[in-house]
Amino acid sequence: MPLSDAETGSRESGVGGRSKNLDLRPTIFSDPRPPTPDPRSEVVLGALQEWMQSVVTHHGDVYEAAEEASIGVETVILPSATLQPIQRVGIYHSMYMLRMIEALGVDYGALANILGEETFEELVRAYVLRFPSRSYTLNRLGDALPEFIATSKLLKGRVFLRDLASLELAMTQVFDEAETEPLPGDAVSSIAPEQIAGARIVPIPALRLVSADYDVNEAFQAWREERAIKPRRGKTWIAVHRRDYGVFRMTLTREAFAFLGFLIAGETIGSAITMFHRRFRRLPEQNELFTWFRDWSAAGLFAAIEVD
Amino acid sequence: MNRFNFPDLGIGVGLRTVHFKHILGSQPDVDWFEALSENYMDTGGRPRYVLEKVAERYPIVLHGVSLSIGGTDPLDFDYLRKLKALARSVNARWISDHLCWTGVSGRNVHDLLPMPYNAESLRHTAERVKIVSDFLETPLVVENPSSYVEFTTSTMTEWDFLAELAAESDCGLLLDVNNIYVSSFNHSFDPNVYVDAIPADRVVQVHLAGHQNHGTHIIDTHNDFVIDEVWSLYGRACARIGDVSTLMEWDADIPDFETVHAEARKAEAFRGSRESGVGGRSDGLDQREPTTDNRQPDEAEVAYAAV
Repeated sequence: MPLSDAETGSRESGVGGRSKNLDLRPTIFSDPRPPTPDPRSEVVLGALQEWMQSVVTHHGDVYEAAEEASIGVETVILPSATLQPIQRVGIYHSMYMLRMIEALGVDYGALANILGEETFEELVRAYVLRFPSRSYTLNRLGDALPEFIATSKLLKGRVFLRDLASLELAMTQVFDEAETEPLPGDAVSSIAPEQIAGARIVPIPALRLVSADYDVNEAFQAWREERAIKPRRGKTWIAVHRRDYGVFRMTLTREAFAFLGFLIAGETIGSAITMFHRRFRRLPEQNELFTWFRDWSAAGLFAAIEVD
Repeated sequence: MNRFNFPDLGIGVGLRTVHFKHILGSQPDVDWFEALSENYMDTGGRPRYVLEKVAERYPIVLHGVSLSIGGTDPLDFDYLRKLKALARSVNARWISDHLCWTGVSGRNVHDLLPMPYNAESLRHTAERVKIVSDFLETPLVVENPSSYVEFTTSTMTEWDFLAELAAESDCGLLLDVNNIYVSSFNHSFDPNVYVDAIPADRVVQVHLAGHQNHGTHIIDTHNDFVIDEVWSLYGRACARIGDVSTLMEWDADIPDFETVHAEARKAEAFRGSRESGVGGRSDGLDQREPTTDNRQPDEAEVAYAAV
């Protein structure tokens, strides 16, 4: 039975950030120094920005970042009346990681929940070191997280965590995909019998298939319902799709998952049946096909039918 | 009226996900909405749907956080193409972003990182603003950021830098009076001097917001009501500039829509307060050729909508 998750999540990429855990070590007060017509140093703009980015995004604390940087902090940053240069740039340093944790925490809520705050933060720190954002949007920051988890030695239970992350990634992708009017429910059944074998079913863009070694659909639902997440081993096949701007998860049988996968890959219905036969050593039964197409059409998974 | 003839839209509120249901369901009596560009550029899902529905009823302004106008990486024309298409689809009245950079070497830190204020930065940024305005076919509107550091390479104040940038690149200004207050606290300058120095005819919009005062510094968190000192700055700005499109930003710990809107409406008390004869600068900067765009507001909007 499909499990619905009408999307309500916030994926805003505002840049306001809070400063917490900033180590404000004893301050040497100094008078603020307003700009003067002559610069106090000659660092050019490009070098300054490279320097500041290296400090702000450094995986250690701001003091370690400053030690490793190519330019001394005092060469670039002025003190304020209350903060030393290192403390001032430290504000940006602390906000950077908070922003990454917050962004990935929104996209990977269930994963963050099962890992706990501390482990999730460690994971994010390691992840953004290897996969820093290269996009103007934070919405795609987490695209490589399942792959990263699969190879990460930081975590126990990596297979379950990777599967759960893969499901959550599929949900964020489906959330953002282009909207397409689905075919009416009876469109597939109205194909002329002689044209069925050569017909190609075009899926809606907002559709992803996820196969997992654990029942991550149940694990995700448990998180949604604020129940304890209990990893349960068992092959699971899920179609994640969007309908009326809500994201849904539909569990599938292994056979249905394979057949739908062939269609999504662009195979005609006829060649999908042939490939199914190769895979399972049998043809799909007529009532199987009927049920699959009925359920998939009702869920709005198809955008068009192409008939040669 | 600013020199671009961008209209005074009244008092608006930032469009935020948590308010989508309320806005679509109740259609509140709000003058206009500002949408964060990047939240709608790459999605065909519910956020884009909601924005387009809101745009059917309310004027929309697009406000970006990733243009990186001061950055030393090349401008991202893929980003600009998407921004322009989004602006067209929602008939954005204008497009703004921040005087900042957001990353270099292909990376994005997703923060509004500060610029050093000197001749090199000015030349660099003005050139990029001109390119962006040409590409978007509308004057870019540049916002003063909050900042937590000052650079040893700066040779001018932020307000002088902004005034020169605006003159050099013919851009509009989004005056964030909360940001002025935050930076004035962090850098120990008089915020009134800042407000008084801004070329009034360049100001297209004003931002209001709350912040967090940590004693030694203030962080621009957009998570609270506007403090009295910021309202006072807003009043000073209105007296200089005249009535100008004003927007309340609330991005964290966001309360219900009516609370945010009620906070924004407090701006009414300060509008209509322009002092006669104080809109111009005593140094004559406001006496330059009055405008580069003599179109009437409606014509300007129509022209932009047709981009």
